[in-house]
Amino acid sequence: MTQGYVTPGNVTDPHLRLEGVRFSRNGRPIFRDVSLTIPRGKVTAIMGPSGTGKTTLLRLITGQLQAEQGLVEVDGQQVDRLPRKALYELRKRIGFLFQAGALLTDLDVYENVAFPLREHTRLPEALIHHLVMTRLHSVGLRGAARLMPSELSGGMARRVGLARAIVMDPELVLYDEPFAGLDPISMGVIVRLIRQINEALGLTSVIVSHDIEEVSQVADWAWIIADGRIVAGGTPEALRSDDSPWVKQFMHRESDGPVPFHFPARDYADDLMEVGQ
Amino acid sequence: MISMWQDLRLAGREFFETLGAVTRFFLRLLVEVPASLLRFGLVWQQLYRLGAHSLLIIGISAIFVGMVLALQGYHILSQFGAVDSLGVMVAMTLVRELGPVLTAVLFAGRSGTSLASEIGLMRATDQLSGMEMMAVDPIQRVVMPRFLAGVIAVPLLAAIFSALGIFGGYIIGVGLLGVDAGSFWAQMNTAVDVRTDVMSGIWKSVAFGITASLIAVYEGYNAPPTAEGVSRATTRAIVITAVAVLAINFVITAMIVG
Repeated sequence: MTQGYVTPGNVTDPHLRLEGVRFSRNGRPIFRDVSLTIPRGKVTAIMGPSGTGKTTLLRLITGQLQAEQGLVEVDGQQVDRLPRKALYELRKRIGFLFQAGALLTDLDVYENVAFPLREHTRLPEALIHHLVMTRLHSVGLRGAARLMPSELSGGMARRVGLARAIVMDPELVLYDEPFAGLDPISMGVIVRLIRQINEALGLTSVIVSHDIEEVSQVADWAWIIADGRIVAGGTPEALRSDDSPWVKQFMHRESDGPVPFHFPARDYADDLMEVGQ
Repeated sequence: MISMWQDLRLAGREFFETLGAVTRFFLRLLVEVPASLLRFGLVWQQLYRLGAHSLLIIGISAIFVGMVLALQGYHILSQFGAVDSLGVMVAMTLVRELGPVLTAVLFAGRSGTSLASEIGLMRATDQLSGMEMMAVDPIQRVVMPRFLAGVIAVPLLAAIFSALGIFGGYIIGVGLLGVDAGSFWAQMNTAVDVRTDVMSGIWKSVAFGITASLIAVYEGYNAPPTAEGVSRATTRAIVITAVAVLAINFVITAMIVG
């Protein structure tokens, strides 16, 4: 299915590699057999309909969850085999942008961005101030440094989350649904920031999203995940012309197809007749 | 009948499973104590938030409890012509029993519930996951400072409760009912023993501080990340603490009295 696109075999020195990953939750299989690679220094998207386990995939990559079977490798290190200390060392090199920003609500914007620096370094206050202000400036929120998270809009909170995610100069940044629930202006800002930050800092970026338009603008590569496995992969342009039913349904926003409109249920007539019986 | 036995068996199993989980969580916290003491600034912040902010409710309650004890005590002691021992009765009751017990229950109501809901909400809004992703252990950064602050705050609050309670008893006993002030203080001074009476109160309040704080942080940390989950955790923090404190109080009292 992934023939002709980037496959685990043809990316040398990938930043991130999953092979034969199987994972289930409460007995329900989420991933049956997921294999993919993320090339270094590129923006890669993992797309798919809601409920296909895209966020779960990010949690497997960061070691918050463990695969039942298969290999999850970040920068050559097998994540689920790492002891806690080594896992935390690895996470210091990964930035993670949560869907809602996940800002600490008892700290203001400045302190939220400074948080990883204060926890992991003994930098002098002047340098912390410089780093925080630089990162806030890069996301356009230097003027909001003393606002509390409750005073921010959804888009602003996400931009602060982004500033916090890159303040430790990570090599890899993971974005969990960065465009969800944003107005068009904020969405445009986030798209531009992801691209700018990726190029300016030479990062590897992984975006988990179902927003086709925005992903097409920013991603170099995209994987489509459905039915517990990777169903296609390649550049967003190539995926648009892909004629596999999974890809066609997703990329062309068809309401019914391999991903059914209806949640599995018994016969419609039986359900309607139940009260009468 | 069979169904009732099955229900009882299930409830028993659930109880022991929870007890096991709480014990494991407590042991994990104990391991983190030295590291947390090195960052005492975080504990200090929480001590102010949890302890100092509980002072008003503790103080007001203590004065009322002391006043009621004096009224009831005067009524009973006057039947035996022993009203001069009112100070002893008020002090003994407060230092040995009511001070530690009521402080722990009030602390659970004022600060335990706020701890449980705060930590539960932090989980529900991905703040704890966010910390884990920033390679910051939420147990060390969030749970431990709050737990230690609670353990330190309860004995201090219990001491304040007992002192203000005795003052409340003095106002009513001496000021209103005419008990001799010299007898009130002198008999108390003679009868209340530091090593037995005061120490038993201190040990109890330490045990209750650990209990109230542990239950609050455990419930918050393990709350399902939903509105209902956080609300249940908050309720459980106060209900379980109240029952546990009363049960532990019985066990400690039985051990001391023999």
